Amino acid sequence: MGEFKVHRVRFFNYVPSGIRCVAYNNQSNRLAVSRTDGTVEIYNLSANYFQEKFFPGHESRATEALCWAEGQRLFSAGLNGEIMEYDLQALNIKYAMDAFGGPIWSMAASPSGSQLLVGCEDGSVKLFQITPDKIQFERNFDRQKSRILSLSWHSSGTHIAAGSIDYISVFDVKSGSAVHKMIVDRQYMGASKRKCIVWGVAFLSDGTVISVDSAGKVQFWDSATGTLVKSHLIANADVQSIAVADQEDSFVVGTAEGTVFHFQLVPVTSNSNEKQWVRTKPFQHHTHDVRTVAHSPTALISGGTDTHLVIRPLMEKVEVKNYDAALRKITFPHRCLISCSKKRQLLLFQFAHHLELWRLGSTVATGKNGDTLPLSKNADHLLHLKTKGPENIICSCISPCGSWIAYSTVSRFFLYRLNYEHDNISLKRVSKMPAFLRCALQILFSEDSTKLFVASNQGALHIVQLSGGSFKHLHAFQPQSGTVEAMCLLAVSPDGHWLAASGTSAGVHVYDVKQLKLHCTVPAYNFPVTAMAIAPNTNNLVIAHSDQQVFEYSIPDKQYTDWSRTVQKQGFHHLWLQRDTPITHISFHPKRPMHILLHDAYMFCIIDKSLPLPNDKTLLYNPFPPTNESDVVRRRTAHAFKISKIYKPLLFMDLLDERTLVAVERPLDDIIAQLPPPIKKKKFGT
Amino acid sequence: MVQLRPRASRAPASAEAMVDEGQPASEEEEAEHGLLLGQPSSGAAAEPLEEDEEGDDEFDDEAPEELTFASAQAEAREEERRVRETVRRDKTLLKEKRKRREELFIEQKKRKLLPDTILEKLTTASQTNIKKSPGKAKEVNLQKKNEDCEKGNDSKKVKVQKVQSVSQNKSYLAVRLKDQDLRDSRQQAAQAFIHNSLYGPGTNRTTVNKFLSLANKRLPVKRAAVQFLNNAWGIQKKQNAKRFKRRWMVRKMKTKK
Repeated sequence: MGEFKVHRVRFFNYVPSGIRCVAYNNQSNRLAVSRTDGTVEIYNLSANYFQEKFFPGHESRATEALCWAEGQRLFSAGLNGEIMEYDLQALNIKYAMDAFGGPIWSMAASPSGSQLLVGCEDGSVKLFQITPDKIQFERNFDRQKSRILSLSWHSSGTHIAAGSIDYISVFDVKSGSAVHKMIVDRQYMGASKRKCIVWGVAFLSDGTVISVDSAGKVQFWDSATGTLVKSHLIANADVQSIAVADQEDSFVVGTAEGTVFHFQLVPVTSNSNEKQWVRTKPFQHHTHDVRTVAHSPTALISGGTDTHLVIRPLMEKVEVKNYDAALRKITFPHRCLISCSKKRQLLLFQFAHHLELWRLGSTVATGKNGDTLPLSKNADHLLHLKTKGPENIICSCISPCGSWIAYSTVSRFFLYRLNYEHDNISLKRVSKMPAFLRCALQILFSEDSTKLFVASNQGALHIVQLSGGSFKHLHAFQPQSGTVEAMCLLAVSPDGHWLAASGTSAGVHVYDVKQLKLHCTVPAYNFPVTAMAIAPNTNNLVIAHSDQQVFEYSIPDKQYTDWSRTVQKQGFHHLWLQRDTPITHISFHPKRPMHILLHDAYMFCIIDKSLPLPNDKTLLYNPFPPTNESDVVRRRTAHAFKISKIYKPLLFMDLLDERTLVAVERPLDDIIAQLPPPIKKKKFGT
Repeated sequence: MVQLRPRASRAPASAEAMVDEGQPASEEEEAEHGLLLGQPSSGAAAEPLEEDEEGDDEFDDEAPEELTFASAQAEAREEERRVRETVRRDKTLLKEKRKRREELFIEQKKRKLLPDTILEKLTTASQTNIKKSPGKAKEVNLQKKNEDCEKGNDSKKVKVQKVQSVSQNKSYLAVRLKDQDLRDSRQQAAQAFIHNSLYGPGTNRTTVNKFLSLANKRLPVKRAAVQFLNNAWGIQKKQNAKRFKRRWMVRKMKTKK
């Protein structure tokens, strides 16, 4: 395996944005998550909780509500007053319709899925009809005094409950008039000067309205008479979100202290018919406000300001009690935000609105295994490139020679040429980039930096030839069938002959770059691809999927390699399959064709194809074998998967040259240190 | 000897006399008919009338003064002329003033407007656009009208009317500023509301450092806070010190040599 010098990089100041809304779709088992910077991500919960699609954010878009409507349509509404529909096939925004009510605070789709209700800043509740290609304004309900912060439909679609500041109104949908107005106490058993903000309401089918407010109370109201039935004080701070299960026998609330409470409908005594709502389980998985919760049939989903997405399967609802029923916490991105230029030892970091270019430090010292070597030259922050406009950067890349940087936003594509003189660096933008390159999902440079491959969200794959300071569009591979399918991942072979592109549902397409035609297609697999790479001399395509399967496909032979077939027959080790985080990057050793280097957020692994595969009984995570053990023992315990957990959490790991690795880590504490202030907790003795 | 002036005809006097309102006309008539008692006293004829009135009081005591027609007439005519002159001068002055103000306004307006070239382009572009798709524009207008009617009067209408981008390079889009300001201010107000209700006064918030260090305080061996060092303190001072050190080293090397 050899010895490596590892550059441990911790100066990537990556801070994800907080989660604002979560919406669960039962039919497709998908979760839509919207963040405070306007990004909307779609997680496929059945594909090992992998983030398969995302819509880049925008500065002026402050999403406050997200909901699924009939037919897998996703709508969001925000403080800019617009209702937006997302196109899940083409990965762009279909349209944005202004609701003319000021900032929109809440949105709810009717149980039938054909109507949409929005609550606005000026106190009006507006009803929209969902037509096959657009939404259409139908009418306004009675205007209320203050802003409508939460909405909920009754399951029959005849009444709605709207939570506002200090009161809750129940509307009759047909007439549009307010039937009841229920005044909420400002404080549990007391009075207070601070207004009580009703952050969430839920309307059950038996006519009970559940409200959660900023005084820390969960209250049950009877909508027929408009009176308070029961009141629970569960927190000292705001209770900010509520979600009810489909069967209406349990609901979950999230508080500003980071606690998530589970309420269940439990019979009063063991054999009585009368039931009551009881607070059963508290979960403390967050440190900051839990601003949104969702209830799927088997799990509780919560997300908040501390940027984690926590999915907690409920043990009583899960059928098979295996590793699938464990807690899932999604913190780190499922895509690679870092690209590396190996020749010049440069790293390009992608942030939401700017790019940073760093040169790695160097050292002249040597040492033995496990030593930390002192730096003779510090890492250098070479470039801070801000993007023009309010849109977020979708993807970026630096060429292997380090002289080209390309990045793309929704509306434009930027290409820059870098010149290095001694220690200085100068930047020149290549102007008049064609419009079809915009909204690219993945950008990749060829190994010799003469070609640029761009995968656009329309499904087309563009090849651009770069020379000197200019470019020329060579070819565009159009999508196969009539459907528009966004190409998510690209891989190019080091000799520049083959290009592999993976879509969201079809198999991986391999194109011949020299002859500009489709060469073959790897058979489709039902889990999405998380990382791809093509090996240097053998031209084997290595694909990693979200269920932790790794395939190796030989491009010249157009079939899976023998090693891959052996692995599939034997199966992976059970601990390998139980890893939480997807593999985000695969690379190869230039001199050792039998080695594959891959990593996920908590480990990096070198697969040695020449060694035997581990079966379920062997130890997967080998500790470093002590040298005084006999050779026989070492040979018996050695297997193909050499895993190291020294560097974690890993955002990126790559082989710079034969003896150097670079590992970009992002400790969780550094992320938490930059989050907004949490609620104060008083502990005895402090 | 009294020289009688030839009697003027009863026909309407010359245009000049008419223009100068009724005053001189009545005065002439008076001059014609001699001293007439009980006539409404007009400004020009005030003098002789006053004398008359005074004369009325003193009628019993003295005989009235003898005034020749000619002198009185001349005086009256002078008076009348002077009045006419002042009125005319006033009018011309006013006219001048008004003219100057108009010019000033036109100048200012011109300064505010866009240069002529762009205005030309705008008008031609809008005309061509209208010509190209009259049907579409009508449809859009109808839709807008319907929407407006439906949305009722209570909701504020924030319409953003976008003008077609005009110049060849299409690098800008004309938007009504009034609408944009309104929308931005409302969005800001909404964000301020959220910020105040979550992080404003009255909420029980603490810093992340204190939050994470709570555990350290309760350990059997107390540890320092999580963010014990404040790396952001004195950045400028540290940079200056580094630069000074570098320069000092260079100077030292030079003097050594």
